[in-house]
Amino acid sequence: MIELKQVTKQYGQATVLKNITLSIEDPGIYCLLGRNGAGKTTLLKSIAGYQNITSGSIQVDGKAITTSTLDTGVSYIENFAKHFNLPVQKLLRIASEVNPNYDYDFAAEMMDRFELEGKKKFHHLSLGMKTMVSTIICLASSKNVILLDEPVLGFDALMRVEFYDMLTESFRKHPRIILVSTHIIEEIAKTIQKLILIDRGSVRFFDTLQAVETKAFCISGLQKDVEAATKDRNVIGQDVVGGLVTRYIFDNPPEETGSLEIRPLSLQEFFIQMVGHKGGSRR
Amino acid sequence: MLASNRLSFLLTAIVTVCATSSGDVVLSNGNYTWLLAVLTPFFFVFYDFAKLMHLGASKKDSYLGCLISYGVLALGISLVNTLIHLVIDPLYPAQTVINLMDVCRWTENGIFTAALQQMFFLLLVMVFLHVLLSMQTHWYGWLTDVVLVAIVCVFTPIAPLRAILAGFFQVLMRNGNAVLHIGVCLALSAALSLAGLAVLKRKTL
Repeated sequence: MIELKQVTKQYGQATVLKNITLSIEDPGIYCLLGRNGAGKTTLLKSIAGYQNITSGSIQVDGKAITTSTLDTGVSYIENFAKHFNLPVQKLLRIASEVNPNYDYDFAAEMMDRFELEGKKKFHHLSLGMKTMVSTIICLASSKNVILLDEPVLGFDALMRVEFYDMLTESFRKHPRIILVSTHIIEEIAKTIQKLILIDRGSVRFFDTLQAVETKAFCISGLQKDVEAATKDRNVIGQDVVGGLVTRYIFDNPPEETGSLEIRPLSLQEFFIQMVGHKGGSRR
Repeated sequence: MLASNRLSFLLTAIVTVCATSSGDVVLSNGNYTWLLAVLTPFFFVFYDFAKLMHLGASKKDSYLGCLISYGVLALGISLVNTLIHLVIDPLYPAQTVINLMDVCRWTENGIFTAALQQMFFLLLVMVFLHVLLSMQTHWYGWLTDVVLVAIVCVFTPIAPLRAILAGFFQVLMRNGNAVLHIGVCLALSAALSLAGLAVLKRKTL
């Protein structure tokens, strides 16, 4: 279980995390979504105990997490993680020695699936393969909380599909909290249970994908009709072209009328409306 | 960790094998094996910490790994230098060969005890460097650097203070009393290890 209470992180004058309160209780695959610089990496590093927060508290399985926590029970892997320049097989073996409950069989199976050459040294691997090795090590650690920071960077389309399968398989073998930060929302949608949307250091959304499917809509039509239909509803964005207005809502949809076009928002559209900024301000 | 420290091993080996000195008084090549004790903490602190974290090691395990590695290295370096002192140094009969084990008066207690004294002294050096280097990313690391430089600069020109400084190094290095020397080295290594633990608790990735 991960519990964040009023977590704030400042770098000098810049506030990267703003008063975040969040509780992840159930095992599952969670997606952390946000724009570049939204605070995703800072949040993940703070949960892993690799970075101190300015105020608030973080607990993982009831244990307070700070940089002073010498054994956090959290496995975190950052993108472009560096490793010893050793053969992949040896790296996996060392990882099994430093992790008490390491699932070596899973790691070996994944190595075969991704056709990783065990004898090849880490520095001789492609970027995608390096990331894959890091991810395998992290998932095989069998820790209760797994944090993957932008794991699909450098993966081709096929590898991404394989990666999502690997996530699902790993979770099936060891149900736990797996938190994955990514930009590519549509692809991971089938794999995840819940979505955490972070923007400018604040959590804007934390719910299931079903909530998005049943509550995120786009309503288009004449201005007066759209305004009347979306009155008292949670409007998350708006576009105006001439006399036509399109409003994006996260609420129960209004009743269909002939003058309105109502359609559900895709995840990508929902994300853009929730965090979309133009020229530094919200749309 | 030791395997990843290949560059330090290589540099030390090259310097130890290739170093030459001329004249009636020459430096023992074994002295250069100490270079490994100086280089290793740089690699452990600046390169290996993040890599160990990425392999899933805890901070506690990585620190223990460093301390154990320093112990193993101290033993290895001491054995190699002792071997050079016993086997290679006597090959220069016409010259006076200076080995730090003699300079530090450790050989007065017999070669076995000298090797032990050297080992514990090198362990102290590595732990000290590890802690000092770990602090360099924080303000108190810089402050420690300034304090150390200030101590040397202030204590050296003033005779009574110089005597204190000299006395400290006599106990720490040029000490013929093996029990006292090993005891001081161990005590300081333990104290510095605890200080290192405090620094580790603030270390970020």
